[in-house]
Amino acid sequence: MGKLILATLMIFAVSTALAQEKPSEGSLERGKQGYMKYMCYTCHGTVGQGADRGTGPKIAPGPMPYLAFALQVRTPRLDMPAYRKEFVSDQELTDIYAYLSTIKPGPSLKEIPLLNFQ
Amino acid sequence: MSKDSFDRRSFLKGAAASAAAVIGTQFAAASAPAQAAEQNPARDNGPTSGKVISRPGSDYMVDVIKATGIEYIASNPGSSFRSLQESIINYGGNKKPEFLTCMHEESSVAMAHGYAKAAGKPMGILAHGTVGLQHAAMAVYNAWCDRVPVMIFAGNFLDADKRRPGVEWYHCVQDPALILRDFTKWDDQPVSLQHFSESVMRAYKMALTPPMGPVVITVDGDLAEEATHDEKKLRMPKLTRSIPPQGDSGALSEAAKMLVSAERPVILADRAARSQEGIKRIVALAEALNAPVLDIGGRMNMPTTHYLCRSNDRRSLVGEADVALLLEVADPWGQFNTISDPHHEYRRLSKPDVKIIHISLGDTLTKSNYQDAQRFMPVDLAISGDAESSLPALTEAVKSALSSSRRSALADRSGKLREEHKRMKDRSRNTAAVGWDATPISTARMSATLWNTIKNEKWCMAVSGMQWNKSMWPATEYYNFIGGSGGSGVGYGAPAAVGAALANRDKGIITVSFEGDGDLMYAPGVLWTAAHHKIPLLMVMHNNRAYHQEVMHLQKMAALHNRRMDQAAIGTTIENPNIDFAKLAQSMGVYSEGPITSPAGVGPALAKALAVVKRGEPALVDVVCQGR
Repeated sequence: MGKLILATLMIFAVSTALAQEKPSEGSLERGKQGYMKYMCYTCHGTVGQGADRGTGPKIAPGPMPYLAFALQVRTPRLDMPAYRKEFVSDQELTDIYAYLSTIKPGPSLKEIPLLNFQ
Repeated sequence: MSKDSFDRRSFLKGAAASAAAVIGTQFAAASAPAQAAEQNPARDNGPTSGKVISRPGSDYMVDVIKATGIEYIASNPGSSFRSLQESIINYGGNKKPEFLTCMHEESSVAMAHGYAKAAGKPMGILAHGTVGLQHAAMAVYNAWCDRVPVMIFAGNFLDADKRRPGVEWYHCVQDPALILRDFTKWDDQPVSLQHFSESVMRAYKMALTPPMGPVVITVDGDLAEEATHDEKKLRMPKLTRSIPPQGDSGALSEAAKMLVSAERPVILADRAARSQEGIKRIVALAEALNAPVLDIGGRMNMPTTHYLCRSNDRRSLVGEADVALLLEVADPWGQFNTISDPHHEYRRLSKPDVKIIHISLGDTLTKSNYQDAQRFMPVDLAISGDAESSLPALTEAVKSALSSSRRSALADRSGKLREEHKRMKDRSRNTAAVGWDATPISTARMSATLWNTIKNEKWCMAVSGMQWNKSMWPATEYYNFIGGSGGSGVGYGAPAAVGAALANRDKGIITVSFEGDGDLMYAPGVLWTAAHHKIPLLMVMHNNRAYHQEVMHLQKMAALHNRRMDQAAIGTTIENPNIDFAKLAQSMGVYSEGPITSPAGVGPALAKALAVVKRGEPALVDVVCQGR
């Protein structure tokens, strides 16, 4: 329980700090460029779909809330490399998030006959 | 060598001497010792141009090779084994074995690697002396790590007195097999034809005795080129294959008790099955225990359609297991533990008190230098035995150990296990649907489209760097998947697929592969080999225009070193210019389509390519796709 409280407090503290620094507007176009420039697609796919062999999880459509997103990018869990502010600015991060937020869902499983393997 | 044999070296020396006289005397002083050697009466054998060796040693070598049943010899031609090559073609009729023209020894060996796994028996390869063996080495290492038999014949001239000056010396070596000895099972350098026949039979037998592996036989050039003497005295040894050993019966009974009493048993199978019978045996054991199976994929071990096949649920099943049975697992430690990257933090994936049983012959064939033995894994019951051979006795022991109440309790697991299997399959398909319309084309869509193309055929997916096939395709036959490269040495994919396709050619099995762009560029000449020998294979380029894994490594290092994150493409991507794989294939006589950049374009291109393959020819479809 103690660990949980500590983790919650830490997340709150970092989230608060990130929230204070989040630029208000993100640019879809700049975000797409940034997503490609920083090669986020290598692990997460060009439309955030995730990748085979557990390389990177799906991050779009429907990305996680911005604060959680920023927290993961700046201080990642597991094997993801950290993208620090010195090299990816807060504005760039916001732009990338804007790009991810605009990615539309593709067809559902039921709409894809090729995925019926019966 | 007999006095009346054809001494072509004397002929060549005579020609060289004449040429030297024309060139002049610039190096006259330095050549004086050589002139003395020319005057050696022992080397003056008189005119030789009319002499013939009608029964060279290499003819007998072909008889020996034929006696093993080897059907193909893959090789880039080389003078150190020219006599054997000539005998294979003219004396042996170029059938069983047939000489396959390769453009790199790495291709020859990797072809033999894929062939052996699809055919269930080894192919021969010929390597030309020092240079051929060095070219072959990487692929031999892959075969070793994958415990796959390959018969390597290495040309060499042992007798320094007979070597031509210059290049022949560069290509000769005192101990040809030394460069491969750390990762081959056995080698020999026969000095007589009787010696050759016995060593080839021993090598073949050893290569096929589990744990299998590549072996090396040196073909001495003089022994091959010179006449066969007293052939009546030569005895062709009988070839009898060894029966793989079953694990100790008492130990198997103990394993059965542990498995029967387990609440959350799990079976991990890697290089366990060698045949369809092997699959049946794994299924029989799993059903007797009602225990899920994780097919690690070194071989095709478990039908993906079976409700106990849970290969995509490794983390949860290993994490919850109280007893784990490992069947020929190459990396047992890695199934229960991990090291994070890049911080090297240890993490246990299993419960600390999980009981582990390993049936393996791994301990009977290890070497020190190369580290393919993987990290040492303490286990509770180590049974030295061949997994496939031990399974019937283990299954019987399990059945004997089951009381009626316990049998009933195990049967009660079925409902939940079937639900979990369905959830696993649905999860894969749902994940595959995300990014379905993306460009570059998603790897899931590429995989699903290829399945749709070949689903009505008998098929073999020989090579793939992606997991979608195993997680989505219904696979029930041993020939459906043949495992990976073993050592993860790049350059394996295309030649291994060509080798598998050769083995499948006469079985009516359509062989397909996903070829990595970086991997294919190591030795793309194998495309020509496939076209030349009419080996039907449908290759689909997994063209992500990068050494994709290395991109991610660069990103990790930049983060670790607190440096800019936007330069990971330098040295890791294959762009500017983009490689046109369709043109590359066309240039070597392979039908091709591409580059395909539209998701909707993949299906029609694959359909056309399949028609070509069904005509008996190779085809390549270049698909520009996502990284993974």
